[in-house]
Amino acid sequence: MPLHDDELFLLSYYRTSEINGSLFFGRLARTVRSGPIQHDLSKHFADEAQHAWYWTRCIDRLRSRPIPMASGYQDQYLEAAGLPVNLMEVLAITLVFEQRVINQYSRHLELSGLDPEIADTFDRIMADERWHLKWVRDALVGMESRYGKEHIAATIARNRAADGEVYAKTLAEYEARLSFLFGQRTFGQPTEES
Amino acid sequence: MPHTIDDICRRVAEILNVPVTRAAPDTVLTDLVSDSFRLVEMVIQLQEEYDVIIGQRDITDVRTVGQLAALVRARIVEA
Repeated sequence: MPLHDDELFLLSYYRTSEINGSLFFGRLARTVRSGPIQHDLSKHFADEAQHAWYWTRCIDRLRSRPIPMASGYQDQYLEAAGLPVNLMEVLAITLVFEQRVINQYSRHLELSGLDPEIADTFDRIMADERWHLKWVRDALVGMESRYGKEHIAATIARNRAADGEVYAKTLAEYEARLSFLFGQRTFGQPTEES
Repeated sequence: MPHTIDDICRRVAEILNVPVTRAAPDTVLTDLVSDSFRLVEMVIQLQEEYDVIIGQRDITDVRTVGQLAALVRARIVEA
């Protein structure tokens, strides 16, 4: 049986967010100088593109077609947080976003009766997402001497506030579709461990 | 003196792939490219090349190529 409209919408939303993430990191990977950050940013870019493919394939295997969407979560998030203009700001925004992604995917994965195809797609993606979080966190620690530990912490806190605002707005906007999938559950702020 | 304002304006033009004559100091940055993320990439590239740091708050009031070049130049001098 093809996916329910609301579930198709959400998986298509994930797909679009992965595509937009890939485009974002691809452009940055083209710009930054050679070194460990360029290396990890390039892998991050490739992973996001691969995740978009996984969602495309998952939707296809569930006998549905992805809904084309121009913008994803990042677009609203970047609008609220403001465009980053240095590498530390890029990574701070990315850290908060990756925590949000892992939190959202984990919650979705906890649903009972989830189609094995969808669960398998989450499992594949989550392994990469955990690495994304690790490399970004490590890179930010490595930037402390250059940008200042407190300044980095303040930047992360500012982005976390923007993310919380956008996430609440997104939940409200898609309340009907999400309540179909999640009942009355709401998701909290992403935690450091998530 | 290395890295004058004119040098940096020229570099902005090169990175954005526009004729140097279009990237005059009084040219508004958003008139050079409509894609705001392209401007972000350019600012990051300038920081990489000149080994300086520019933050979101520094750039709030920057509108023109000359203002951006002056900011980069000031950071170079401070370093």
